[in-house]
Amino acid sequence: MDFRLDDDQQLIVETVRKFSDRDIRGWAAEADRAGAPPERLAHIAGELGFLIDAVPADAGGMLEGSYSHVTRALRGYELGRGCAAIAALLECNVEPALAVAAWGDAKTKQALFASLSSGGFATLYHDSRGALAVDGDRITGKLIAPALAVASYVLVAADGKLILVPTDGMRRDAITPSGWRAARWATATLEGQRGTVLEGGSVEQVLAWARTSLAARAVGVAVAAMEHAASYSKERVQFGQPIGQFEALIRLRDDALTTAAAARMLALHAAWLIDTNDRTAYDTASRARVIAGDCVARATIDAVQIFGGYGFVNDYPVEKLMRDARAFEAVLGDERLGRVLAQKETR
Amino acid sequence: MDLFHDNPMFQGIRQMMNAFAKQAIRPIAAKHDQEESMPWDLMKQAQAFGMTQTAVIDGRKKLTGVDEDPDPKKPKSQARLSVAASEEMAWGCAGIALALGGSGLACAPVARMGTDEQKEEFRRLLKGVDEKGHIKVAAMALSEPATGSDISGLKTSATRDGDHWIIRGSKQWITNGQSASVYVVWAQTEAAAGRSGVRGFIVARGTPGLVPGKKETKLGIRASETAQVHFEDVRVHKDMMLGVAQAGGQPGGLADTKKMLDSTRPVVGIQAVGIARAAFEYLLERVQGGTVQGTPLASHQHIMFELADMQMEITAARMLAHRAAWMADHHLDNVAEASMAKALGARVAQAVTTRAMVLLGEEALEPSHPVEKWYRDAKIYDIFEGTGQIQRRIIAKHLTGQNPT
Repeated sequence: MDFRLDDDQQLIVETVRKFSDRDIRGWAAEADRAGAPPERLAHIAGELGFLIDAVPADAGGMLEGSYSHVTRALRGYELGRGCAAIAALLECNVEPALAVAAWGDAKTKQALFASLSSGGFATLYHDSRGALAVDGDRITGKLIAPALAVASYVLVAADGKLILVPTDGMRRDAITPSGWRAARWATATLEGQRGTVLEGGSVEQVLAWARTSLAARAVGVAVAAMEHAASYSKERVQFGQPIGQFEALIRLRDDALTTAAAARMLALHAAWLIDTNDRTAYDTASRARVIAGDCVARATIDAVQIFGGYGFVNDYPVEKLMRDARAFEAVLGDERLGRVLAQKETR
Repeated sequence: MDLFHDNPMFQGIRQMMNAFAKQAIRPIAAKHDQEESMPWDLMKQAQAFGMTQTAVIDGRKKLTGVDEDPDPKKPKSQARLSVAASEEMAWGCAGIALALGGSGLACAPVARMGTDEQKEEFRRLLKGVDEKGHIKVAAMALSEPATGSDISGLKTSATRDGDHWIIRGSKQWITNGQSASVYVVWAQTEAAAGRSGVRGFIVARGTPGLVPGKKETKLGIRASETAQVHFEDVRVHKDMMLGVAQAGGQPGGLADTKKMLDSTRPVVGIQAVGIARAAFEYLLERVQGGTVQGTPLASHQHIMFELADMQMEITAARMLAHRAAWMADHHLDNVAEASMAKALGARVAQAVTTRAMVLLGEEALEPSHPVEKWYRDAKIYDIFEGTGQIQRRIIAKHLTGQNPT
């Protein structure tokens, strides 16, 4: 077992970390207020290789050889430290691109990759509660997803199938939820909308990718919350000492970082299992999402607590993180519910 | 009065306030949350119903005036009634409940320590409408940028100049800070005296040097206004200082206001319970109609046992708040119970709203979702009126006599 990053991974982590610290954190508050990312995001992200990193090089993308989910998890963690909404936008193309590359026919590949290579977006929706009606390649029901307002395609995981649906002609309403406000959310109402079924496609695999990335990003948000809390608690003096010296607040930070360390390792482990085609990847990714969800929920609430009255106002970054935390447990559905139902079926 | 017996008086106030919350508060809650605006129209109506800004003072006058109860040790029911009513109001919307009661924070010290002349002046300043046509409101200005949990380091100073005091300093997180027609500002009159040198002053809006500052954009309770207030050499007549020359030699300083917390903390705790109950009821209703993969949500232990836990915790927190209030009404030492009620209410509200959002799934992502609002509203209950850490410090000190650090 070797936990060291290879040179490529090290370079990517350092680059994304800089991007996150210098640019994304600087944009986050304004993007949150505006409910939209900065105009220059697409340009800068494009230069750094985001958005088309999972599109094959021969189809206009950046991917040569196999995709590394470990690298993606490392990157996702750093992006999460920057801004959850911007991270969601930068990661949303990966699942549709990889799924279509794996199971799409030539025509579907051509259409999606052409769209993504020219700056387009795609996103994933998982029907976790079985609420959509799927009839062959036709879907009826309601979707809600980040990036859906700007996406040209949505990959719908429903009824055991993967269906790539063009958003053209789809009834979409752009929305700005309270969390990941800049992530270009929309709801869409489908009435027998047709898509392309990816024959032989594995919902489980796609969800393993998505959950692993989601978990890594959630841990990034949790750690960012505690980074802000740590620096604030060094400066803030009450009762004659920096509040960071009070044991109760040391505990809040320390417990958050303990859970974050475990959740990060589990997300990376899930990514490694995906990369090595291990059949336990699906289960591990799901568990990673459970612990990462718990972690980001607790850490962001506690970061606001450490900031006290300042944590509750938007001059400081942590109230946003508490709002952002909720989306991590809402997209793709309640992870624990899914696990419980799956284990009942296979008993 | 029996703590466990819900007599007709409590049932009556609960029903009445629930109807008010359901009909008048709930329908406007989302709007004021989104707009971050005060519910001025409702505040006006509430005043017409007798929920006046000076009700605290008027109510207290009956207790301390000529008609004072001959036996001050006789049990009252004020704190418990307040707890019963406050749960319903916060169930409607905590932000609006705080907006409706916001002036009470300033009224309470005036009621407790004010002379008849000061009370009269305070009432006069709250009569009629302000320049925007809104009912007049009051603000209590205690917290400062560097003084949150630890109020001993108060920087705002009051310096004597003949018949006046000159007040200088900045206040932070002040409810009604921008809109108030009258402020009760706390300032240090004697740097060497520490906490006992801190005095409250009644200052009218428009007094030169009193400058309302920036209004905060907050995570929750957005219908309640929070702003900075600056005092730039504000001259206040000495007669407007609270707690001087009291018959009976009341200390009149900030320490004296701490006693009020024994009655207000159970109220703050029950407001948090009201938020938790709102989220719990919303989730329960959704679960009863909903399905997952074709099976009723209500048939799943995964969801129903969490609802059972929520009901346990809400009930326990409610009982504790009522017990702490009952102790206050019976003149029993409830310092620890008041802190427990406040801290538990806050914890339950945060846990229930967070879990309710998870269990609702992606529905809770939709903009203006009530449970998402309650999630944001709940957080302040672990911060204001003494953080969760301050409450635990009080409880711990009650156990050993020591302040743990």
